[in-house]
Amino acid sequence: MVDIIDVITSRKSIRRYKPDPISDEMIDKILEAARWAPTGENYQPWRFIVIRDQETKDRIGRLAKLGSGSRMTAWYCLGEMQERFEKIKDPVKKAEVLRFMYSGEVSEFARYAPVVIAVIGTLMEGSVDVPYDLSAAIENMLLEAHSLGLGACWVHGPVASTRDAKKFKEILKIPTGMGEYKVIAYVAIGWPKEQRKHPRPKLPLEDLVYWEEFGRKERPKYE
Amino acid sequence: MNEMEYCNDLIVRLEELLFHELSGCAAWKVEMVGVDFIQSKEIKGKNPDEVIQNCIKEIKAAGLVKEMSYAISGLGVKLELKMKGCSHLPKEIRLRQDGVKPYICPITNMILDQLIEKLKFETTYVADLHIDENSGECRVWSAIYEDENKIGSVCNWHEE
Repeated sequence: MVDIIDVITSRKSIRRYKPDPISDEMIDKILEAARWAPTGENYQPWRFIVIRDQETKDRIGRLAKLGSGSRMTAWYCLGEMQERFEKIKDPVKKAEVLRFMYSGEVSEFARYAPVVIAVIGTLMEGSVDVPYDLSAAIENMLLEAHSLGLGACWVHGPVASTRDAKKFKEILKIPTGMGEYKVIAYVAIGWPKEQRKHPRPKLPLEDLVYWEEFGRKERPKYE
Repeated sequence: MNEMEYCNDLIVRLEELLFHELSGCAAWKVEMVGVDFIQSKEIKGKNPDEVIQNCIKEIKAAGLVKEMSYAISGLGVKLELKMKGCSHLPKEIRLRQDGVKPYICPITNMILDQLIEKLKFETTYVADLHIDENSGECRVWSAIYEDENKIGSVCNWHEE
């Protein structure tokens, strides 16, 4: 069996795309990868809405821009955004990065992606694992897109607030009842326009792993 | 135990549970908590001042908060609400004792809801809850966006 660690470790979130279309075959492979994600008791609560219509993507992009912008404007006004980007020393560059964030433009990119796939879960069939199943499906989608040479980004923020999630459902004609479908995220996909740099630094395993019990950092010998 | 104590106990458990499940973004999902009360009151107003003042009248008349004032500043984006004697204060205190930073303010949600429902504000965001359990006062800062052009209107709220 092939070790996919290279695919996993070379993936990064891509938010800038070339306008080139993505073939149906590639879309189908990404959806197929999602379909094979682990799912509690094989409920498969996921449903996918593939969006290529520009007007729909524009509406989603606008919703995302307003959602992020509304939060980040407040975070900037509180001084929290400035702390987050304090490592940027060039004041001009820092100001531009901050403006890009608090204007909400940072989250607008769905409108420029050739394909957006909304990932929603039915809440009506008894599954007790909907958010977790959907998250596993999204990770499969990201890895498959990356392995095909595409870039993709998992986007949760624009559907995180209750009102925005309802607006998102209305755009896609998803039933809006709180007991019907959960919108967990969408995945924006396209041919990468930005240079695929090495993934952002990750914490070393020593900082993340305990052995046998919480807090125990040394690896015991195990015969 | 009176009804409000019982109600606060319920909210504490749910607020803790939601934070445990969702971490920080739990705060983004609770904007509708509290709105049913104010939506039942037929609040009227042609501008933010009238709407907010009429909300405060109903909130105080129902005994939910004893003293309440507001101020809009920060390029029209910052809404500050000050409350004393809020009936939900015991909830905030207990949450803190349990190690969870309070993030649901039903009273603030009521006012933000009416700005959206009655004045068609584009969106709102509860930015900061400051609770002083010793004095019994709460100060809540929210961002209110009359239209999408207001997003990105930044200044230092601490100097406002």
